[in-house]
Amino acid sequence: MKHKYTHNKDFQCKHCHYLVTADTQYSGVINRNHCPYCLHSLHVDLYEAGDRLNACKAKMQPVGLTLKKLNKKYGKDQHGELMLVHQCTECGSLSINRIAADDDAEAILAVFARSSNPSPEFLTACEQDGIHLLNPEDARVVRARLFGWDDDATASG
Amino acid sequence: MSNLSKQNSSLHQPDPGAQGIVVKKTTGFYTVVSNGQEILCTLTAQLRKRQAGGDPVCKGKRLGEHTDPLAVGDEVIFTSHLAGGGVIIDRLPRRNVLARSTPAPMPGAYTFEQVIAANLDLVVPVFAAASPEPKWNMLDRYLVTAEAAGIPAMICLTKLDLVLQADGSLQPDLAARLAAYQQIGYPVVMVSACTGAGIPGLKAVLSGKISVLVGKSGVGKSSLLNALQPGLGLRTNAVNQVTGKGKHTTTVQELYRLDFGGGVIDTPGVREFGLWNLPADDLALYFPEMRPLVGTCRFGLDCTHDEEPGCAIRKAVVAGRISPHRYQSYLHMRE
Repeated sequence: MKHKYTHNKDFQCKHCHYLVTADTQYSGVINRNHCPYCLHSLHVDLYEAGDRLNACKAKMQPVGLTLKKLNKKYGKDQHGELMLVHQCTECGSLSINRIAADDDAEAILAVFARSSNPSPEFLTACEQDGIHLLNPEDARVVRARLFGWDDDATASG
Repeated sequence: MSNLSKQNSSLHQPDPGAQGIVVKKTTGFYTVVSNGQEILCTLTAQLRKRQAGGDPVCKGKRLGEHTDPLAVGDEVIFTSHLAGGGVIIDRLPRRNVLARSTPAPMPGAYTFEQVIAANLDLVVPVFAAASPEPKWNMLDRYLVTAEAAGIPAMICLTKLDLVLQADGSLQPDLAARLAAYQQIGYPVVMVSACTGAGIPGLKAVLSGKISVLVGKSGVGKSSLLNALQPGLGLRTNAVNQVTGKGKHTTTVQELYRLDFGGGVIDTPGVREFGLWNLPADDLALYFPEMRPLVGTCRFGLDCTHDEEPGCAIRKAVVAGRISPHRYQSYLHMRE
């Protein structure tokens, strides 16, 4: 069977200009879709991941975090893996992407911190797309997903 | 002038030759039809040499060299010889040609023009609805080539019986892709050579025209011709059960006269269809839906419609006025 992600190759980030390898040995994912350093992405997929049918091609910035629900839906059920929420800087559309193994954890925490006070319009857009944005109350979950342990729990324990 | 000298001068005058149309082409031999008679002809060395002579090299493509000087549909002047055959001595100017770039044997190798057919009224890209799966990018290449040559095109979808749902409708994905082409203005005919569905409609379109059937091996071009004109008896074959690809059953190009008027050129299936001599900067002009927007981008005619800001074509794709699949085909062709 032909591989779905035929466009997966090394690239230079359009935002921070770092060279990014698409080697699965580093990323742990077969569809590298954002820069592991600045977490920016490009708006190139339209109907499904990897189809490269979108003509927008604008930069997508990381705007928050969410959790993957079981049965591949996105929402509050805190069972699934941590996901990055990207928003297109040109058309404003939202997408959700898996975090790769070599993504900068500090940058992810910074995105989480920035998303603590979202605008009502942004929250409405997230709700329309069925995305539950993680808020400061979910900090322990985020740390647990990123590092495998929780600072607070370790300190108190 | 004496009678004897008149006789001598007439003996030395070249034979003006008869006019005919090339209806079949095999290696080194051409079947020419003139006044209802078929004559097997060869080519004069001068004609072959003249056609291949010294054209410039253009972006890795050698124009004129190694190309067959004649194609099916060409109008030619030929002289008959006593053995029953003939020699083609000249080719009349062509109204249009459908040509592709020959496949490069290795990366960086020169490619050459391969004329598939000449003097056409209609190009019919034939695609199977299933087995083998339709290659939409290849269809776009046919359509672009037809646009560049100024020949109208009509899309023909075969093996309709394989994809019809229980309620008689097409699969939604397939229907959406075909609707996009109809929206652009390309007629789409859906047929089944097995059940005969759509054949009367296709006959009506082909009647009185010289058309060429082009497409991948195994899509059913010869089967379609057999259905259009029963009794033609063209050799057909099922696709390979393992690979799902055609077996290249048809090996020669031939023009068949149709009882209901006109003619159809059957061609061997091709694996790839390279664009011949179409500058990348002009490519958008051969997409009818993009043509009105060319020159309206922020960078005007310098826009490649890829990542430039303010590109009118990209905006039209995002707005849904241009099919994203067609836009991707355009980008692939530019590569």
